Amino acid sequence: MTTTLTFGPPATSPGRATFTALAIRETRRLVLNPVFLFAVAFIVFALWAGPGTGQTEIDTFNPYPAIFLGGFGMMATYWLTRSMRGSEPVVGVTPVTRPARTAALCAVALVPFACGCLALLRFVQLIPVSSPLYGPFSPSARVAVLVGQIVIPALGGPLLGVALGRWVRFPGAAFVLFLLLYGWVSVVTILSMSHANSALVAVLRLFAPFAFFTSTDSGVGVTAWRGSPWFFIGWQLALCAIAILVALLRGAEGRVRTRIIRALGIAGVAALILLVLAALGGFTHPLTA
Amino acid sequence: MTGAVLRAGAWPAVAGVSGAAVVVGGCGAAFPAAATLLLPICFTLLAAAAAFTLDEPASLVVDVTPTGPVRRTGIRAVALLAPLAAGTLVLLAAAVRGLALPWASVGLALLGNVLFGFAAACVVRTRTGEPGAAAGTAVVLVLMAPSLVPQVARFVRTFPAPGAGGLSPDTVWWTVLAVCAVAITVSVGGRNLPPWISTVPISRRRRSYPTVQPP
Repeated sequence: MTTTLTFGPPATSPGRATFTALAIRETRRLVLNPVFLFAVAFIVFALWAGPGTGQTEIDTFNPYPAIFLGGFGMMATYWLTRSMRGSEPVVGVTPVTRPARTAALCAVALVPFACGCLALLRFVQLIPVSSPLYGPFSPSARVAVLVGQIVIPALGGPLLGVALGRWVRFPGAAFVLFLLLYGWVSVVTILSMSHANSALVAVLRLFAPFAFFTSTDSGVGVTAWRGSPWFFIGWQLALCAIAILVALLRGAEGRVRTRIIRALGIAGVAALILLVLAALGGFTHPLTA
Repeated sequence: MTGAVLRAGAWPAVAGVSGAAVVVGGCGAAFPAAATLLLPICFTLLAAAAAFTLDEPASLVVDVTPTGPVRRTGIRAVALLAPLAAGTLVLLAAAVRGLALPWASVGLALLGNVLFGFAAACVVRTRTGEPGAAAGTAVVLVLMAPSLVPQVARFVRTFPAPGAGGLSPDTVWWTVLAVCAVAITVSVGGRNLPPWISTVPISRRRRSYPTVQPP
């Protein structure tokens, strides 16, 4: 009986190695995308310059990461995904499946997510959590508000861009969706100012990938609106999961497709529950501090 | 010939984006408190719709036909009526709802937005057959800058809403109209373009094509 000993690095799964190589390649393409570079440059400048003196609320400053890392990141990943359409006949016959390529594209969202985390740290340095600008929220809820407004949109926007790029052929879809989301958030925020007590308006305000939780009335005090920031983070993460699953669904076949559809159903139900909890939780009426 | 050039236009894109603009503008008319936020978004979408009017998937063939770029662009400019009509519809709805806006300035802003999108498409069309996506994105980023970045709004206002500081929207749009007229004339004429802009959309990496030698 003979035994063959092999020396060298431990064997890695070929699928994982391919995924890693693809993810690194796509990440390199994202960080060289001019729209994404502009977004990061603007965020760096805005955070370096700071919010300026005379700030009466955090809401004048914290939508920037959501707009630039999330919104512009969505446009960048949409282009990244669409740019491979022309070479699909060639890429389609390689041993790598389309869901694997989509998963590699989704992995690039970690870059804007990391940028969002850094932006959060700088924001907390500029406006400490103990500041009265956050309104009547508890310290943990203040952190939740910031995570939901700065970090999660930076992750979700690029994931939405990948899903959009996989399913929509229209080349201007990303900026149209960006404008529609911007318009929606603006409308529901204005509605919340005039109908702060309404539960329906609270649901509408939270039925978005980004939401404000406070408002100020000419520096008199900061009013916290209805809604739980912690459950809102759950709703946002459920939206991220839905975006990934919808992106992966394109080109999936057989058992993988069935599993993705099942997971999509579960994520949809979870998102709905978390949205209701986000609207019903937290303060049940506006509170001014 | 006019019918054929018009039929080849990217009508689904122009109509779709104009439709989205009508929805957003309609919401602005329905919620007067949000009108000054939503009408600029509506106009930006109309500018983006105008940027898709020159999309020509068969540009490699069309660009070498005897029909010149001036005539082709002139025919395609008819498609601008779609975003202009959509914008007019929104403004009519806003007027019916009783919104108090400086209508002459708002009309000028609408015209300026649409022409700005078209001018961007004309300039990008000298480089590629389908300028819509690139020109549309650039137009959206430029026009939304005052809304997204308050520091920009201190210097330039693109919508005639009450507010302090910055150039007046009328000045901005008259200037934009003049610049757009020059840009369209130069890019469609194909003369006096900067040397880095080629008149035929051929990849810069490949200036020559392989020829088949007779046996």
